[in-house]
Amino acid sequence: MDGIHDLGGKEGYGPIEVIKDGSPFHHDWEGREWGIAQCARTPGITIDWWRHCRELIMPQDYLGRPYFDSWAQTDFATYIEAGLISMEEVIEGKAKAGDSHYANPPAPMSVQQVLQEDRNHAFRYDAKIEPEPAFSIGQKVLTSSHGNIGHTRLPQYARGRHGVVHAYHGAHVFPDLSAQGKEVHQHLYSISFAATDLWPEVQNRKDKVYLDLWESYLQDGQS
Amino acid sequence: MPEFDSKKVADIHQQLHSHLPSDSALRIKALETLLVDKGLVNPDTIDAWVEAYSEEIGPKRGAEVVAKAWSDSKFKQKLMQDAPAAIDELGYLGKATAHLKVVENTDDVHNLVVCTLCSCYPFSILGIAPAWYKAAAYRSRAVRDPRGVLAEFGVHINNEVEIRVWDSTAELRYLVLPQRPAGTEQMGEDELAGLVTRNSMIGTDRDLGANPGRAY
Repeated sequence: MDGIHDLGGKEGYGPIEVIKDGSPFHHDWEGREWGIAQCARTPGITIDWWRHCRELIMPQDYLGRPYFDSWAQTDFATYIEAGLISMEEVIEGKAKAGDSHYANPPAPMSVQQVLQEDRNHAFRYDAKIEPEPAFSIGQKVLTSSHGNIGHTRLPQYARGRHGVVHAYHGAHVFPDLSAQGKEVHQHLYSISFAATDLWPEVQNRKDKVYLDLWESYLQDGQS
Repeated sequence: MPEFDSKKVADIHQQLHSHLPSDSALRIKALETLLVDKGLVNPDTIDAWVEAYSEEIGPKRGAEVVAKAWSDSKFKQKLMQDAPAAIDELGYLGKATAHLKVVENTDDVHNLVVCTLCSCYPFSILGIAPAWYKAAAYRSRAVRDPRGVLAEFGVHINNEVEIRVWDSTAELRYLVLPQRPAGTEQMGEDELAGLVTRNSMIGTDRDLGANPGRAY
């Protein structure tokens, strides 16, 4: 979607707040939200649907509220949409009596168990598919000039641009459909773009931007 | 189960905008309370995740990977060819690193990592992303003005050096392998790891000989 989240190349966001602070969390609630996002059970959800629900946050909230706060709002939205919690419960601030979705709530996990669980979260998204990849390394390609409606991972700044296939990564879950709950694998490539082909003001001809793009975002760029 | 209904979610966000408390701490408390009430999460497990990512999982893991690559050419070769397998040897394969790629800085190339569409980050080797990495200023400018961005971090890149910006648009995650500083030939892996800053593994730091001993 052509939403507020698609920030690459946008102007006006000012200087970067460079803070040399190694703390992972700066408020207790940031850690709580991180933990909730790691251990909450969300049946049937996909990472791309969750990302899309974050993109759908109203622009003033997306830009104006803190980062982990936007995770929490995304969690609220995905749980409500899936029917696991209701807007009434959010407004009331408590669950309806006896409304537990699981007969057996999850047992507590220790730090050691969580470290093992983190290892279990090394999810792979690739799979073998029948069709051969359409493009080969070194080939010139042209990206689609239109984004897909809904969730997509071809940013606006790289649409309708010429690039070169830098690497091929096998077939990965296609995010546009994964955000609709459909698991379809499609060939994935790293495409290099000359910075001078992306940005009118760039003078340094050497600089490049690399994006990982699915085959249906691309066409042959020779012609 | 989710219905994957974008219009419904847009409407939910409008209602949440009106109904959720403004204070972030209260919002997250409200979410945790509901999820615990419904048996969807165990609060002790949330504690354990916070502790794991505060004490165990963080950029010190990435620094160890870099120091080992500097010291052990076979490990480096494996890391460049199959980074998930290489970091698994150290027990660091995990969340968001199953498709890890390592990109190497040289005298002629500097690499910089960003996620312009969200905030993708290789959690199991770098921990929680710094605030600036997730902010609009960095996400918008890193792909367009990397030299200006780097200058704000105090890093000035010679025009002869090629900058490669990696926008993490898929499930691949990127780790920058910084250059080993001169004069460190006698150092062991532990001492070398102490030179590696978190920012150098994202690409917003370059010359690790300039500021030895920094924590990040």
